[in-house]
Amino acid sequence: MNEIHKAPSKKLLAVFAHPDDETFICGGTLAKYASEGVEITLVSATRGEMGRRMGNPPYINRETMPAVREKELRRACDSLGIRNLMFLDIRDKTVEFINEDGLTDTIAALINEVNPDVVLTFHEKLGGHPDHCAIGKVTTAAFKHTAHRGSLYFISYGNMMEQPERYGYTRQDVVKIDVHDHLEAKLAAFRDHRCQTEIDEWVWEEDRKALGRFGNYEYFLKGSPTPKSQKPGNLFQ
Amino acid sequence: MNPIIKDQVEAELQSFVGEEVYIHSEATSFVFVRNFKVKVTDAFIAGEGSYRVALQFDGHGWLRMEALTHVEREGNARLLLAGYDDKGRMNVALHLGKEPFPE
Repeated sequence: MNEIHKAPSKKLLAVFAHPDDETFICGGTLAKYASEGVEITLVSATRGEMGRRMGNPPYINRETMPAVREKELRRACDSLGIRNLMFLDIRDKTVEFINEDGLTDTIAALINEVNPDVVLTFHEKLGGHPDHCAIGKVTTAAFKHTAHRGSLYFISYGNMMEQPERYGYTRQDVVKIDVHDHLEAKLAAFRDHRCQTEIDEWVWEEDRKALGRFGNYEYFLKGSPTPKSQKPGNLFQ
Repeated sequence: MNPIIKDQVEAELQSFVGEEVYIHSEATSFVFVRNFKVKVTDAFIAGEGSYRVALQFDGHGWLRMEALTHVEREGNARLLLAGYDDKGRMNVALHLGKEPFPE
């Protein structure tokens, strides 16, 4: 019998706060690595159940929102190629009030279980939303506690890390990922998050026009030392 | 959610008077409370097109909200009121339930 020996696939663990963070912030990068065979696990701390956008015109209420957003996120995961999705079942807008040690332990256990080559999360100061900063802070702590072999990166919005000096970082601290071949998947995932994107008319314009709104690059801030041998423009060694 | 019909919501609010009620109340961008339990002693609705609702509770309390536009009645146990803007964004919500809302 012939056995096919495949190199063990690379793994990426993304720990974010709300359904749609993965798509809106770094959907191109996730789609790119998924297409290269990287096994991606996405953790969403909440179901985004306290969101303000209720569809346009509104068809969601506060009590139906968690199920709707979970369904939309599952679709977006399919569009991006993310195979594993988990929720931490924290209520939206309360992540920063959850016991930090307990949450750190939960995420450390996940890191040990998934054994990822790359961990993505929010920067604890530059995350923007309190839930983002809070999940970034505990994930960073968990990464350090596990003394994990992989690399930690912080996701960033749009082109803000094109000029990292403005935030006290240098170009060496930033990895720039070319995602232009994966913008169709990113747009599909934007549309999967329908109740959140319905209000943004450009998302629903014809594909060519809508795709024009995306940048060709997504930027990541290094959260752990990377070896000199690391190829530029890549999160993996 | 359906646009509020004042008389209907008035009657539905009355069905919670005298009951122990769990409240979810939020001004979306600023504050929410979930599952505080009160005994509703009186309930009011006022306004046209966009409505104000006030609850009196426990003989000495008030909860008043405005900018409510839509309603969803779920059986006898839950009444969901919400206020949306013209793009479907939530401004306020007021839910009354005879059982706690999911945490």
